[in-house]
Amino acid sequence: MPLLETRGITVRFGGNLAVDEVSVGIEPGRITGLIGPNGAGKTTLFNTVTGLLRPDAGQVLLDGADITRLPPARRARLGLARTFQRLELFLSLSVRDNVRVAGDIRRAGGHRADVGKETDRVLELTGLSDIADLDVSGIPTGRARVVEVARALMTSPRVLLLDEPASGQTEAETDAFARLLTGLAADGLAICLVEHDLPLVMRLCSTIHVLDYGAVIASGTPREIQESPQVIAAYIGTEEVSA
Amino acid sequence: MTTFLTFTLLGLVLGAVYAIAASGLVLTYNTSGIFNFAHGAQAMLGTFLYWQLAHGWGWPVWLALVVVVGVVGPAMGAALHAVIMKGLRDTADVTRIVVTVAIMLGMVFLSQWLWHPEEARVVEMFFGADAKVEFLGVVVRVHEIICLLVAAAIAVGLRMLFTRSRVGVVMRGTVDDPDLIRLNGHNPDRVAALSWAMGSTLAVLAGILITPIGGGALEANALTLLVIDAFAAAMFGRLRSIPRTFAGAMVLGLAATYVTAYFPTDWTWAGNLRVSLPMIILFVVLVLLPQDRLRGAAVRTRERYRVPTVRRAAVWGVALVAAVVLLMPLMEDTSITTFGLGMTFAIIALSLTLLTGYAGELNLAPLAFGAVATIVAFHFGITGTGLAARLTLWGILLAVLVAAVVGGLVALPALRLRGLYLALATMAFGVFLSNMVLRDTVEHTLFGVTFSLFPNGALIVPPLQLGPLDLRDPGTLLISATALFAAIAVGLVALRGSGYGRRLAAMKDSPAATAMLGQDLVRLKFGVFMLSAAIAGLGGVLMSTAAGSVSGENFAIMAGLSLVMLTVVGGIGYVSGALFGGLMSGVGFVIIIGTFNDLARATPEMATIYQTLGQVVLVATALIGMGVGKNPSGLVHDLFDGYRTLRGARPVLAGGAAAGAVLYLLALTGVIGNWWFAILTALLVMTLPALGRALMPRAVLTEEELARRRSVPPELAGIDEPYTDELRDRLDQELGLPAREGRGGPHARPAVEEGDVHAIA
Repeated sequence: MPLLETRGITVRFGGNLAVDEVSVGIEPGRITGLIGPNGAGKTTLFNTVTGLLRPDAGQVLLDGADITRLPPARRARLGLARTFQRLELFLSLSVRDNVRVAGDIRRAGGHRADVGKETDRVLELTGLSDIADLDVSGIPTGRARVVEVARALMTSPRVLLLDEPASGQTEAETDAFARLLTGLAADGLAICLVEHDLPLVMRLCSTIHVLDYGAVIASGTPREIQESPQVIAAYIGTEEVSA
Repeated sequence: MTTFLTFTLLGLVLGAVYAIAASGLVLTYNTSGIFNFAHGAQAMLGTFLYWQLAHGWGWPVWLALVVVVGVVGPAMGAALHAVIMKGLRDTADVTRIVVTVAIMLGMVFLSQWLWHPEEARVVEMFFGADAKVEFLGVVVRVHEIICLLVAAAIAVGLRMLFTRSRVGVVMRGTVDDPDLIRLNGHNPDRVAALSWAMGSTLAVLAGILITPIGGGALEANALTLLVIDAFAAAMFGRLRSIPRTFAGAMVLGLAATYVTAYFPTDWTWAGNLRVSLPMIILFVVLVLLPQDRLRGAAVRTRERYRVPTVRRAAVWGVALVAAVVLLMPLMEDTSITTFGLGMTFAIIALSLTLLTGYAGELNLAPLAFGAVATIVAFHFGITGTGLAARLTLWGILLAVLVAAVVGGLVALPALRLRGLYLALATMAFGVFLSNMVLRDTVEHTLFGVTFSLFPNGALIVPPLQLGPLDLRDPGTLLISATALFAAIAVGLVALRGSGYGRRLAAMKDSPAATAMLGQDLVRLKFGVFMLSAAIAGLGGVLMSTAAGSVSGENFAIMAGLSLVMLTVVGGIGYVSGALFGGLMSGVGFVIIIGTFNDLARATPEMATIYQTLGQVVLVATALIGMGVGKNPSGLVHDLFDGYRTLRGARPVLAGGAAAGAVLYLLALTGVIGNWWFAILTALLVMTLPALGRALMPRAVLTEEELARRRSVPPELAGIDEPYTDELRDRLDQELGLPAREGRGGPHARPAVEEGDVHAIA
């Protein structure tokens, strides 16, 4: 049974159908991929799931409970965390404080924990310890994306939504990142990965949903997706699919 | 029935003029993303100029109109855009708001300089007040018909512009995505310039039309605050929709005339209510507006602040108190009193450091919360009478508490919305307070209680006595206020370094990401606003005791705005910026103008020049405020940066300290006057970093700066100088080519890095 589930989510921008009756599920202990060409509605779907957008129709369920009308902060406290495609780091804070503030927020919400120790653990886990005291505005994009992941992990989430986390990363960084995600999933986290790096998606995900023009055109294992004629049609002209 | 029709018509006329003003505001906001607080001030300047031409110099009305509405209006808007607004890209909302507030203050100062405020001026109706038409038993003045026609024409014109013309469609797109507009072959700057020109023209037109309706008396402040009526109307369309703005303007105009017509005239508040109506409507609309969508901000702004450690802040706090103690022997009693007053302003300014510098929200009426606290302290916090009267500690605590609660109530409706709305709400509250509360000077009975909030228009607030500490003595007051400032400042720095401070910073940098970490933004903003209002209240009560007696003027909205502006000029992210802003706005103006007036009295033949200089200083401060767009981090930020480089140059620092000590001794022994001491010390502080760079470049400058200093720019390599191997290495490096074998040198670095570092933007 999926931990996070969308049922018939529909979002319109004016006359534009950005997301069209999307129903997908994300299961604990697995990495679920969400791919599709630019403008397919992936980020819009994320925004609906996390509460930045209200859908015109449909439901978002977390652990069976309807959270469609909850504000973003409440959803986060229920265990939903995300990263942003356009980086949303706290530019006046250091790398450490970017991560730490997530713990501060949790603590202010009544969760008793040693925020400092927890921060060090997460920085170590994500491999950020060496740049922890740098200004976050000065670090390369690839590592900045990891900071966003570390910050999300500080909330001890049950579901982690990653919006193009590997873009801007070097090959070595992507490798380390893939190991991190595999480890997190092994610990029981439900991960949803939106990514344009298709080899990475194929390598990591157990299930992949393909969005095109707002609708799910295919779902299945990486192998099934690679052989799906609709997907090949949607991605015409790109070689990566067969990679 | 005829009365009703007459008032309805008058209401529509008033609404028509509000609509003209408001549509200009909406136009500029939507094309440039800048909410123009100076909109009313532009109307005011234009109207004054029109008066000067048509009445002062007796030009024909049509010619004056052509010049003011046809030429000066658009030129003023285009100039504002070219000189100031264009440079406001990539700045925080706070910076943008402060810049337009500075323009507004500058225009008010300028008008007071050119047109002496105590002289009475009247703007006549078009074709005179006697030109009337009767229609269905209702008498209408020709001027009023003109107002309606002009508004209708503008409504139709704007509609055509936005839907039919190319440039109008581009205007709608500019603020959403300037880059996209540019890609489509349009120039967003030119479109923005056009919209500023149009907005300014509409403002001027509204000013000329509305002044005769309101009785004809031309008054700078009242017209400047037209911006509030305009934004109350614009709020109906969420600052976006022009048709709804027109509808809102009509509601506003009708409500205002009906209040005048049907509220009992003997009710003391009716007159004040009429003036405050736009503010009240504004709050109602704010409460009713749906919640803003949280969007990713992801804008990299230019403001940068460094956070000091608590220890360092404490050291500086002690140093500040010590410096004030050292300065006291130099000052006369009156100067000590003035200085003490300035220090209480600095405490009020600290409320802005917390709210704006740390949390990124804006309060444009900090003094209003000082006024609330003062009123509470006056009514409930005084023991004894006459000279023995003293303020009690409990009175101050109660006053601070009430200020915090009122702050929370004011902020609450706006907190669900973007920061701009909170700024507008606080400004509306400031004006509301000036109109309703501070003018509530006559006793009246309400629910069986006879009272007056601001009896006789002046409150005498006695000093605080706390055990042996009696603040009646100006010296004690000054040192206590300084110590309190330092204590709150250190407390704020500690707060900024705590989990709470990090949460504030996170909210300021990216509300969306902060919410996604589980932070309830409204609750966080609510708390910080109340805390900030409490600090403002505390500073306000102390200010009142330092002044001895306060009137409504002490809490005027313009004084609050200039405090905000100067604090941002000083550096809103730093507690020392609050010290600068508070001292400058609290007493800096008074001292400077007083000095020029003294000089003028001492040398009558130079009087005009000195008085002019005094006015120039006022306008110049506003100019500095406008410069915030260029240097949004503030003056103290630059000063700190300068001194940070001096750390390696101890001899320069020691020399500076010695020179300062010599100046102090000279002043103490009376060899040089206090003015010379102040000027020379300021000069010394400002120039020391530059001096360090000149005297000890090796210790002060970074490697890169030294290298840049030594060598010619690569473009000139081989032209003015021989083409050496070293130059070739540098060229390779600048072009990102790999370093040649064995010649890497210390400057060689991989070329990839640089692009990556900036990609985050």
